Amino acid sequence: MRRALFVLGDWGVALLCGAYLVALAPFVPGLASGPNLGDVFSNVLPLLAVALGQTLVLLTGGIDLSVTAVVALASVAGARVMTETGGLLPGSAAAGVLAMLGVGVVVGLANGLAVANLRMPPFLATLAMMTFASGLAIWSTQSQGIAGLPASFRALGASLGPLPVSLLVVLPLALAAHLVLSRTVLGRWIYAVGGNARAARVSGVPVERVLLLAYAACGACAGLAAVLYTARLETGSPVLGQRIFLDVIGGAVIGGTSLFGGRGTVRGTAFGVLLITLVDNSLNLLGLSSFTVLMVKGGVILAAAVLDAWRERLAGR
Amino acid sequence: MKTRARRVAPGLAAVLLATVAAFGPSCQPRPTRHAIGVAFETLQTEFWVAAIDAIRADLASRGYDMVEAIADGDANRQLEQVRSFVARRVDGIVVVPKDAKGIIPAIKAANEAGIPIVLFNRPADASAARSVAVVADNLGIARATVEHLCALARQSGRKQKAAILIGDLGDVNSIGRRDGFDQAAAACADAIEVVARIPTDWNQEKALAGMTNALQAHPDLGLVFTSSDFMLPSIVSALKGANRYRRAGEPGHVILGGFDGDATAWRMLEEGTLDATGVQDVYFEAKAAIQALVDAKAGRAVPPVVLDPGFVIHQGNKAEMAPRMWGAQVARRKAAGA
Repeated sequence: MRRALFVLGDWGVALLCGAYLVALAPFVPGLASGPNLGDVFSNVLPLLAVALGQTLVLLTGGIDLSVTAVVALASVAGARVMTETGGLLPGSAAAGVLAMLGVGVVVGLANGLAVANLRMPPFLATLAMMTFASGLAIWSTQSQGIAGLPASFRALGASLGPLPVSLLVVLPLALAAHLVLSRTVLGRWIYAVGGNARAARVSGVPVERVLLLAYAACGACAGLAAVLYTARLETGSPVLGQRIFLDVIGGAVIGGTSLFGGRGTVRGTAFGVLLITLVDNSLNLLGLSSFTVLMVKGGVILAAAVLDAWRERLAGR
Repeated sequence: MKTRARRVAPGLAAVLLATVAAFGPSCQPRPTRHAIGVAFETLQTEFWVAAIDAIRADLASRGYDMVEAIADGDANRQLEQVRSFVARRVDGIVVVPKDAKGIIPAIKAANEAGIPIVLFNRPADASAARSVAVVADNLGIARATVEHLCALARQSGRKQKAAILIGDLGDVNSIGRRDGFDQAAAACADAIEVVARIPTDWNQEKALAGMTNALQAHPDLGLVFTSSDFMLPSIVSALKGANRYRRAGEPGHVILGGFDGDATAWRMLEEGTLDATGVQDVYFEAKAAIQALVDAKAGRAVPPVVLDPGFVIHQGNKAEMAPRMWGAQVARRKAAGA
């Protein structure tokens, strides 16, 4: 049992994804069709960008509740910069993208400073930031979406043949995150801080700097997700991504990232996000009521969290 | 054991995913009975529940299956849901857009697949994407409702001070209702004088605070129109606080009108505290939406906008109009359930 729990890691989730598809395909109309698999793939990518950032923070033993608000704030900030109807730099997709990434990094750094230097609990610091950023996004737009985005920016939400353009953005991001975590000193430090911050500090790990970097990277990933979501919807929205938090955390946790810190992989998060997107997609295709969809998704995530708690107990932490 | 399992798991996963990738694209959706995808933004108010029930009933009566999806207030999720309808090759799509601008890519996706799409109760912003919008005639219904309130003001024998609770001015429905009020108020300047315009942003707390302030500034306020019935509880609370909550015909009664036709409005009409409300005819809108899809699928011409003329229900016609008022049906179902 103990071994099985540990084996059911990231590749176990990949197995689950495949088994889920094979098992449900005969019963869910269109689930395994080419267009639908393409949709699933393009739905995974922006969510994966947010989930990768969240994984970094979870690995340090923290949590970033503000990612959804960062997506919204970055979306309207970037749209305001590049919109062709009264933007600061009308038609400049590059400026819009930089503004979105900039908002993400700034908010992430603020979160990191609050957690690392002010020693605020991550839950409280990022909850306050979520409220602030969400309020700022709505106030600055008076709840209005911003359209008229340049065609070169909207192209980021399109596809090149069967492949979504966003793959060109998220794949390098995932590879970079994987290499940092598995091959660099910074990666080892992140795991060490999440495993036991006090021991890491004694061992010479610059805990504050690691936390600051993790939260800043998380903000940047949310900013990048804002680019992809905004391009898909062709609109900057002050409420964009408001409801994705459960999917973000669910994807990471299902993929084996521990809510207690110190354990998790990029590969696991990618498969976790794939599974939660597949569940969402298949239940939609079945035409189940929204309440049923929410209950099923909540149940899957709850099961993953319980599994995580068991693992921690068995690991003696 | 652990090591062996770890070696086998990636291989198994790869085989399974490769199988799906190889054979999946060739598996087209199975033809089923005619199906219509219905994507709502939310089901958090009685209006939307009544609307989806009306659509479900209409589809069932025509022999269609309904595939339901609720975006829970998320424009991106709504786009994904519409795309999944397209992938499933439904015969038509009804969508309540979360966002008038953000819905345009979803309409384009349906257009590209040749699937007719109807926007229910909320129009999209102007674009090259083709859709049919079934929307309430907000201006006309609000004007007719306020004209009825004006007639009551005239019957009272004195010029009444009036207030309007305005919704979110970023919402076209809200603007239409405000304009309907203004047109009717301008035409009956002999009977009413507008002394308070209360912004609410569709927020009940703001409505209560604004209404309380208006009653303090104008204790003799005689007529109130709310742009949505869901703010009636706030108005009732403020009127009770000022000791002005009376039935029609009682001394000191504030002439009260609303818009939507929800269950609260029906209860207040029954008890005699609400004089009139403009009703969005959900049953008409549901039928019109499905008919538009059927016509478009059959290649018949469909206008880009279908207006729900709605109707005014008041103390004089409430028994006759109740069967068409969705809020009355909701209230009666609740009462029967209890």
